[in-house]
Amino acid sequence: MSLVVSAGSSGPDLGAVRLALAEMAAQRRRSLWLMLALVLLLAALLPWLANAYWVKTLTSALALSTAVAGVALLYGQLGLVSLCQYALLGAGGWVALRVSHGWHWPFELCVLAGGLSAALVGMLAGLPALRLKGLYLALVTLMMAGGFQVLITAIGFPDGGPGWLGRMMGSERLLMARPGWASGDGAYLAYSAAWLAAVLALIELHRRTRAGRSWALIRRGEAAALGAGVNVLLYQTWAFGLAGFCAGVGGALLAGAVGQLDGRGFGASDSVMVFALTVVGGAYHWGGALVAGLLLRAVPSLLTDWGVNGFVAQMVFGAALLHALITAPGGVIGQIQNALGALGRWRLQRGGAT
Amino acid sequence: MIEMDKLCVQFGGVRAIDALSATLDAPVCGLIGPNGAGKTTLVNVLSGLVQPRSGTVRVDGSDLLKKSPLQRVRFGLRRSFQTEQVVEDLSVWDNLQAVLDHVPAGSGPRLEQLARVLDYVGLLPVATRMGLRLNLFERRLVEIGKALVGQPRLLLLDEPGAGLTEHEAARLRELLCGIPDFCGAQVLLIDHDVDLIAATCSQTLVLDFGRRLALGPTREVLQDPAVQAAYLGVSE
Repeated sequence: MSLVVSAGSSGPDLGAVRLALAEMAAQRRRSLWLMLALVLLLAALLPWLANAYWVKTLTSALALSTAVAGVALLYGQLGLVSLCQYALLGAGGWVALRVSHGWHWPFELCVLAGGLSAALVGMLAGLPALRLKGLYLALVTLMMAGGFQVLITAIGFPDGGPGWLGRMMGSERLLMARPGWASGDGAYLAYSAAWLAAVLALIELHRRTRAGRSWALIRRGEAAALGAGVNVLLYQTWAFGLAGFCAGVGGALLAGAVGQLDGRGFGASDSVMVFALTVVGGAYHWGGALVAGLLLRAVPSLLTDWGVNGFVAQMVFGAALLHALITAPGGVIGQIQNALGALGRWRLQRGGAT
Repeated sequence: MIEMDKLCVQFGGVRAIDALSATLDAPVCGLIGPNGAGKTTLVNVLSGLVQPRSGTVRVDGSDLLKKSPLQRVRFGLRRSFQTEQVVEDLSVWDNLQAVLDHVPAGSGPRLEQLARVLDYVGLLPVATRMGLRLNLFERRLVEIGKALVGQPRLLLLDEPGAGLTEHEAARLRELLCGIPDFCGAQVLLIDHDVDLIAATCSQTLVLDFGRRLALGPTREVLQDPAVQAAYLGVSE
């Protein structure tokens, strides 16, 4: 049967449709600009407000937030549970260190190389795993994280030495060179926030396009997505690649923050913690990545500041995860949104009453 | 036109579709049968989610079983599910756009095509409303709208009337009857609502235990004593 165009109808009012769509697009642009403005405001304020210790802690938190944004993308947009994000963060960090020490690339290129290589690793490693779902996907990605832990413990991170692995034999390990204008810790904190803003914007822009709509269909149901013509494997792989990019950028920023990376800090259990705190922070809103980054780094530091063992944080996180899974699926950021919504409604009612 | 010949589907020891042969050539066809008759299995076979053990299926002369599920969608096959699949954090417009992203677009600008479909199903005034805020009827209409975008050739609608009020079901009937004129697509309607089937379908296939129990003009099929005994619970 061929397509028959209905005749005799005046058709829909396209002017009104265009107007409504333009308004919808304008709202989305406003929310994107608001997000960028808030993150960049943080970038501008934090170096002035925090002391040296907290500047370093917050820089690490922002680097981890960049990686968390990838986990949130996979979980929030596609319902995929990936437990290898910390390994991808390590992979990105390794490549960034390697190209920085070996070829002295500009820092921005090192970050991009870290991001792109982690994206590639994520896509290649994820390709067979993406035929799996739920618990099985989680287990396979966790095994990958375990494999990376073994590998990185054996080869270590490049620290300015010769050869392909770039390992220094003596004790004089070289630090990764930061960009000239962000060599100070405060400036580097702002620089890391700018990268985080860029990564969050990249994800938000994806969400508004064909990729984001396809991810939404996949999350709703793979059979329905397939029925709508979505190439499920392609779009899942795409998302895995983008999540890997986020992790790689986070790893490179972390390498730049500390100057070097230690293989002992990239255990498989860290990936589990990243996922858990992504859920606690909120996987459906960009702000959740910020919250999760702070939980990962700032809360243990805060406890240490207060003279409490930082590992107590894990107990608190366990309770928070339980709370998020049972009563607050939108996480901390979802609860903040709800509270702001309730406040807005209350003010409206109050205004109406007077 | 759907032509099935000796179609067999087996799940372990259960024969879900048993040597089914039928030709459905009416613009709106009905598919009914008691629970477990094999209706949804047949829809899954047509859409490519289930592979038959043997037999052939041709749609408008084209061998459907040689096409992958994605190729079938591009060919013009669309389906809706028993459970509506509206994405709640996308607007009505984006729910339809998500399908149009992946299917061959018809003639004319995409905006115009989507607006035309939304106008047809009556959702244009709520085009920017988020899926979360839609009621069940609107969700069902979104599902039909999704099936109408692009250049559909065959729509498989699995219980689109489930849970609707009488007034909503009447509106749905009008919509379903108008689809062949709206876009030229054939409709295969699966529903337990015999009134809906009688009001919209000129030809109906009845399945029972995966076998063809009856096929013909809907009025005659519904009067068939074997159908009444098996499906409507009336003794012969």
